[in-house]
Amino acid sequence: MSAVAEAAGVSKWYGEVLGLNAFTASFGTGITGLVGPNGAGKSTLFKLLIGQLHANQGTLRLLGENPWNNVPMMRRLGYCPEHNQLYGWLSGQQFVEALLRLDGMPAAEASKAAGAALKVVGLSAAAHRPTRTYSRGMRQRAKLAQALAHDPEVLILDEPLSGADPMARVQILRTIADFAKDGGHVLMSTHVLYEIERITNNIVLIHNGKAIASGDIHAIRALIDEHPHAVRFETPQPRQLAQALARMDHVVSLEVPAEDTLVIRTRKPDAFYKELPGIVADTKLEVRGLESPDDSLEAVFRYLVG
Amino acid sequence: MGVTESARRLWVVMSLTLRYLLGTRRIIAMLLLSAIPFILALSLAAGRVSAFNIDLFQRLMIPLFLQVVLIFVTLVNATTLIREEIEDNTLPYLLTRPISKPAVVLYKYIGYLVAVLVLLVPPIVLAYGVTEAYQGTALATDLDVLGGFLVATLIGSAAYGAVFLFISVLVRKPLAVGLLIGFVWESIVGSIPGDVPKLSVIHYLKSILQGMIAVGPMTTYGSDISAGIAVLILVGLSVAMIVLAMMLFQQMEFRQKA
Repeated sequence: MSAVAEAAGVSKWYGEVLGLNAFTASFGTGITGLVGPNGAGKSTLFKLLIGQLHANQGTLRLLGENPWNNVPMMRRLGYCPEHNQLYGWLSGQQFVEALLRLDGMPAAEASKAAGAALKVVGLSAAAHRPTRTYSRGMRQRAKLAQALAHDPEVLILDEPLSGADPMARVQILRTIADFAKDGGHVLMSTHVLYEIERITNNIVLIHNGKAIASGDIHAIRALIDEHPHAVRFETPQPRQLAQALARMDHVVSLEVPAEDTLVIRTRKPDAFYKELPGIVADTKLEVRGLESPDDSLEAVFRYLVG
Repeated sequence: MGVTESARRLWVVMSLTLRYLLGTRRIIAMLLLSAIPFILALSLAAGRVSAFNIDLFQRLMIPLFLQVVLIFVTLVNATTLIREEIEDNTLPYLLTRPISKPAVVLYKYIGYLVAVLVLLVPPIVLAYGVTEAYQGTALATDLDVLGGFLVATLIGSAAYGAVFLFISVLVRKPLAVGLLIGFVWESIVGSIPGDVPKLSVIHYLKSILQGMIAVGPMTTYGSDISAGIAVLILVGLSVAMIVLAMMLFQQMEFRQKA
């Protein structure tokens, strides 16, 4: 299989609001991350891929098929929606079991498969509790359990780590990685680049409804790293700190906009953050705080789209 | 897809619908509303109202049960079937399974029908029993009255439910539109002389009662169709509304709620 999903010039608008704008990308086998800021069009693309929305323009294929109202294709697909709503009056076990029975599974088989899926995501202990009592992380795991319980070929996960606690994150990422290791394909959206870096090198960057870059995460990282990255320091000694940081060859500019503020720009943020603690410790300069106005993906995307 | 798999899907969607309609807190309000006929009959018996008999039962139950309780219970339950899933963002769980959108509508409607009959039938049977006991007659004395009301309840639930389900697929705020149809349209159109009432569901429900009950106020209703024809018309209306709802739902898109 060359591509799990393919979009060619896909546009989707809601009235005057553009959800996707001539989106073109190919999602390969294994795990692919769809990365973009909130409102970039990630959920719209996924809703098109699962057949809940119909493209206004362009062609879309999932597992080689047109997903719109494609009932048989749903057997091959597992979907985890962005929202955390479940049938709150059902237990986790009943929830997954009911959905498995919609796949046509007999009751006993569905019960067994539901239990196994809940075990995989670490929810066995809470399997018989009503899902309305679940935390956000538990809901994320229950959603993941229902998505993979019927052993689909492809998982489409819309922000599966959103709101999850650190333990749930580890469990979810491990489950996704194991699913891919067993030959499954995963399309996973996130607005946090480092989350996806842990489990895949393949990403598609989406911004304002357009695919702006795709491929190996390191190449895209390098592209991002060339973007001068601003860091704002709060310090009573801005000039002394500026002198110390100017020794780094990747620092391209330094300015002191206020008596207690220093703003620097570096072409290598990773190297900068690695070297910074040593410099501060050696010079014994006081740094009260630091933040990066460029730290958001939004800024990176603005840079990438020019 | 095999018959067995379809039966499993019907069972699951119907069970989910029944559990939602009968197993959540909303059931308390529905039970209280549905119990009105029974509570009224008990009150009349407890108050030893001398005029309380099977004739008064009919005079009270037509405006109170058929034109208020039945419409309200069917309206609230049928409009939540699809709309609640859309509002709660739970619909993707059903629609990403190998079940067609029209099947979801149909199976939910079947679940609705079972739920409203569970709510509406016992109170009317109990109210009938209280009436017969109070007037000192055997339970089987006025079975035509009980039969008429049970058929009207079944067919009325099917017809109103289908109309309200169609509305819930058509508009975002189905309750307001349903209230207008159920209480304004039905009561105004249903009470205009001539052929105009034929445009209301209540006319056919009254025609069923007229055709099935031998003695009482409905014998003089003046409908020119038999109970059988009235049933057929309402079944036809139900089928048409459900088919339209299924067709409309098949083409609907579902954008996640913010």
